[in-house]
Amino acid sequence: MANSQRVGLTQARAAPIAGGTHRVAVGVRMTALSPWLFLAPALGLLALYLVYPALATLWFALHDRAGQDFVGAANFAWAFHDPGVRRALANNLLWLLVVPATSTALGLLAAALTERLRWGGAARTLILMPVAISFVGAAVVWRFVYDFRPEGAAQTGLLNALVVAFGGTPRAWIALPFWNSFFLMAIVIWVQTGFAMVILAAALRGIGKDTVEAARLDGANGLQIFAWIVVPQIRGTIAVVWIAITLAVLKVFDIVLAMTNGQWNTGVLANLMFDRMFRGGGHLGQGAVIALVLIGLVAPVVFWTLCRARGQGQGR
Amino acid sequence: MRGRAVDLAVALFVLICTLPVVGLFVTSFRDKDQIAASGWWTAFSPVEETRAFRLPDRGEETGVLLGATLTGSVLAGDGRVTGFGITPRAPVAFAPGEVARFSGGGTVTVSADGAFSVSDRSGHAGGRRIYYGARLSPRLTLGNYVTVLGAEGLGRSFLNSAAVAIPSTVIPAVIACFAAYALAWMRFPGRALLVSAVVVLMAVPLQMALIPLLTLYNSAGQAFGFEAKSYVGLWLAHTGFGLPLAIFILRNAMSALPGAMIEAARMDGAGDFVIFSRVVLPLTLPALAGFAVFQFIWTWNDLLVALVFLGPQDDTLVLTGRLLNLLGSHGGDWQLLAAGAFVSIAAPLCVFFALQRYLVRGLLAGVSR
Amino acid sequence: MMTRLTCAVALMAAMSAPAVAENLIFAPDEDARFDWAGYEAFAASHRLEGERLSIFGPWRGQDRALFENVLAYFRAATGVEAVYASSENYEQQIVIDTQAGSPPDIAILPQPGLIRELAARGFLSPLGAETAGWLRENYAAGESWVGLGSATGPDGITALYALPYRSDLKSLVWYVPDNFADAGYVVPETMEDLKSLTERIAAEGASPWCIGLGSGGATGWPATDWVEEMVLRTQPVEVYDRWVTNALRFDDPAIVAAIEDFGWFARDHAFVDGGATAVATTDFRDSAAGLFAVPPKCYLMHQASFIASFFPEGVELGRDADFFYFPPYADTDLGRPVLGSGTLATITRDGRAARAFIDWLKTPIAHELWMAQTGFLTGFKGANPGAYANETLRRQGEILLNATTFRFDGSDLMPGWIGTGAFWTGMIDYVGGKPAAEVARAIQAEWDNGE
Repeated sequence: MANSQRVGLTQARAAPIAGGTHRVAVGVRMTALSPWLFLAPALGLLALYLVYPALATLWFALHDRAGQDFVGAANFAWAFHDPGVRRALANNLLWLLVVPATSTALGLLAAALTERLRWGGAARTLILMPVAISFVGAAVVWRFVYDFRPEGAAQTGLLNALVVAFGGTPRAWIALPFWNSFFLMAIVIWVQTGFAMVILAAALRGIGKDTVEAARLDGANGLQIFAWIVVPQIRGTIAVVWIAITLAVLKVFDIVLAMTNGQWNTGVLANLMFDRMFRGGGHLGQGAVIALVLIGLVAPVVFWTLCRARGQGQGR
Repeated sequence: MRGRAVDLAVALFVLICTLPVVGLFVTSFRDKDQIAASGWWTAFSPVEETRAFRLPDRGEETGVLLGATLTGSVLAGDGRVTGFGITPRAPVAFAPGEVARFSGGGTVTVSADGAFSVSDRSGHAGGRRIYYGARLSPRLTLGNYVTVLGAEGLGRSFLNSAAVAIPSTVIPAVIACFAAYALAWMRFPGRALLVSAVVVLMAVPLQMALIPLLTLYNSAGQAFGFEAKSYVGLWLAHTGFGLPLAIFILRNAMSALPGAMIEAARMDGAGDFVIFSRVVLPLTLPALAGFAVFQFIWTWNDLLVALVFLGPQDDTLVLTGRLLNLLGSHGGDWQLLAAGAFVSIAAPLCVFFALQRYLVRGLLAGVSR
Repeated sequence: MMTRLTCAVALMAAMSAPAVAENLIFAPDEDARFDWAGYEAFAASHRLEGERLSIFGPWRGQDRALFENVLAYFRAATGVEAVYASSENYEQQIVIDTQAGSPPDIAILPQPGLIRELAARGFLSPLGAETAGWLRENYAAGESWVGLGSATGPDGITALYALPYRSDLKSLVWYVPDNFADAGYVVPETMEDLKSLTERIAAEGASPWCIGLGSGGATGWPATDWVEEMVLRTQPVEVYDRWVTNALRFDDPAIVAAIEDFGWFARDHAFVDGGATAVATTDFRDSAAGLFAVPPKCYLMHQASFIASFFPEGVELGRDADFFYFPPYADTDLGRPVLGSGTLATITRDGRAARAFIDWLKTPIAHELWMAQTGFLTGFKGANPGAYANETLRRQGEILLNATTFRFDGSDLMPGWIGTGAFWTGMIDYVGGKPAAEVARAIQAEWDNGE
């Protein structure tokens, strides 16, 4: 592989950089058809598995519970008035505020710390490990952390055992009003931190040593250097990590299903959609409207990504 | 001194990240009663338990005759009795070796090794319950794994998950390579638009795709005479859902290659297919492997798509589905849950540790631009 | 590449295919408890070699094994290759499958509300007038079962769509006789006695009740049973019937009072093991363990007959654990109401094998084979009560056969988004401390909004 690269680069250096005339010649030689041959399987599958369902959802949103009669905007009106939708929307926004920020911050911290250690590689591997665990598996893992036994009984959940050891009273964490969402978020943060760390660690490695050295000569301490010299240089990467985790959080579904199934006010939109669509006979129209709300939440994120991509220029 | 602080901080980080998994691992070897009695971190120390034991009935059938002294042991395995009693509210009122008197007549004693002896002329004691507290040595067993792999059908589901995840990784990888090349290095009208579209499609929540797609599968299945629920259908569904990310990562990796190199190959008269297969693809392999690790973990860990497109039948149920069923039907059998969960995360963990180098590169390729 | 993969997969599937040898747990013609003559007759008239039948139902774990044992006889009698499947989220799964047009042949569901919904959309096949007549004749309270299984199809015609198979008795309180004897408690005959027993146990420093509402995706349902029991014990049965159809509003004072009556037990920290906080988070399957702990964590548990499947290993029914009827108030004149539930079989894809399976459920032996195992009750009068595996089951079956007022679990009769949604969530909120009136108003609001 390294060999072929060297050959390639040698050739590139040997050949004079192609001028406009050459480009035209290349263009003529290419048949107009061939890009589409390369693209056809992917486009076909994308159209079938993502575009068509999205259109079908739009159609369902305008129809009744069985997807038969046209009902106009009735489902949208329902979503506007339904307290469950409002609650799930609020929860989703809470997740969006907390999880990407915390995961990115912890990932950055882990990246910066492990960078300085001889055993940093091993540590990073272990911190990244939760990425490989399914959400259903994670739910079982975290049951042994959040388990609650009444006061006086031996606590079998790690968190309550710690609380009791320090003289507190055990709590039913996943039923605690408001705070229970944070205990669910902790699981997702647990999974995403490693992801953030790996990417940010690579970005840190790419930073010029001279800027850091210069700051040090100017008398800045470690924290100042990190905040004012290092972080601004990897701003772009931090944004990308943030976006990626945001997309993952919007689709959060399994962990809520397995831990609380949306009870105790922990419901998020993806769960509500699943519930509305399929539980107790289901209501296709209402489920579809929630799906559209979800897509609506994603839109600004996608828009931002697109602007950014355009800004970098993609023509080649 | 400062170095030591960093060491400590990282150690704490690692501890928090791994401790829940360690807990699961330890629990999966423990005995059901001990899981309920104490936390997993005490798994290697003796457990205190209080239990009931029903004395044998007297009578011809059981071979225990009226008036004889009843003997036996309350303990089935290793352990020491720390106290015993004759009422459930005071289960350890007597020290081992003391003699307790039943209200209706007759006496019982339990010694520290678990042996009990009942002397009873009236016949009141037979069939009664006595209670004892015992310090039981920790019981660690492989039995939980034997149970979940055999009787609970996890072994079967392991194969199902493999049959789902491997093709569902290979197919999108292959298809995305071609598409990514076209989007990175071929010029045609509408390319920028397509790239944008791929990004947009990454955001579509797949739960909403289930009913439209399954409906489509069914009508196609009826028209052309094939089963609507099949591995092929599931592979293609995973392919469709995974393609945007695959194209995104691979296109980024491909367009990061030096343009002069591609041009040079073109000048030498190489066609697109040759450039793709001989020049671009070999240089994109790390990113490809990175995506593959990602997709494998995702398809292996998926529950919803498999449940809908393959179904919950015994012979097709995937591992995550089996685990969720365990959560339901054995809500109280934590030892089985733990063993089952560990089996289900074992494969992705192995893949992860073996290929994490590529995973990291794939992640980097996907976001480095 | 693809072909090789396909081959590999096929090979793997072949290697791990389950053994097909039939395993009949009761040797035919030997045990006199079973109606072997009827079995032979059924077998003779239903030979369907080579046909396939997929059955989707709610039974998992041990129940699944018990049902598979019964199914083995159906396979042996008919030659049909019958496959049973279930999943933790079967309510959602069946909607996805029917909606998309890939249903199983037979769906066995515990929710008449869901069945009516599926029938209205044309996903079920009517069972025919002959089956309706049979049900009316041969079931205790047959008319109410016919009403329960009937629905209006897309053509506007009301017909029987579901045949009951396996019932559960809800109005039971479980206890450990040894613990009762030791403490000197007696089985209460009235609700007043039950309440004073509760207060007495609490006064003696113990927890009277184990209540667990946790149930994965269905968390909250055990509380709906409590509320229904209380409605039946404080209001005439007509109120109950109007309530489940929302002819009586959910926030009616009568219903709010019933919720608060449940709260008398569940929201008092001294009355429940672990206090009221533990109620919503304890899994109902785990809560049974509290009865059998030493010293006992609780003395009483209200739960349906099927809970016996979740008792710890080695518990002998009738000796280590027993039940009594959840009693009515003495100062009301409402008789002895019985709350129950059950599973109903529907045809989701018509065919000869599916029809044969419905016929199979009309044979006594299909019931007796499960009665002789455990956890099965039936209102089918043709089944031999002597087939029940033990005295406990037989006594429960008797309660069912002799019920004067029998009502089906109301949450299963309400529309899905209430009975298996808002009602559950509302009860979790209620035990969490929200006032009953507020909870009832919220549920009614969802009912209005969802229409």
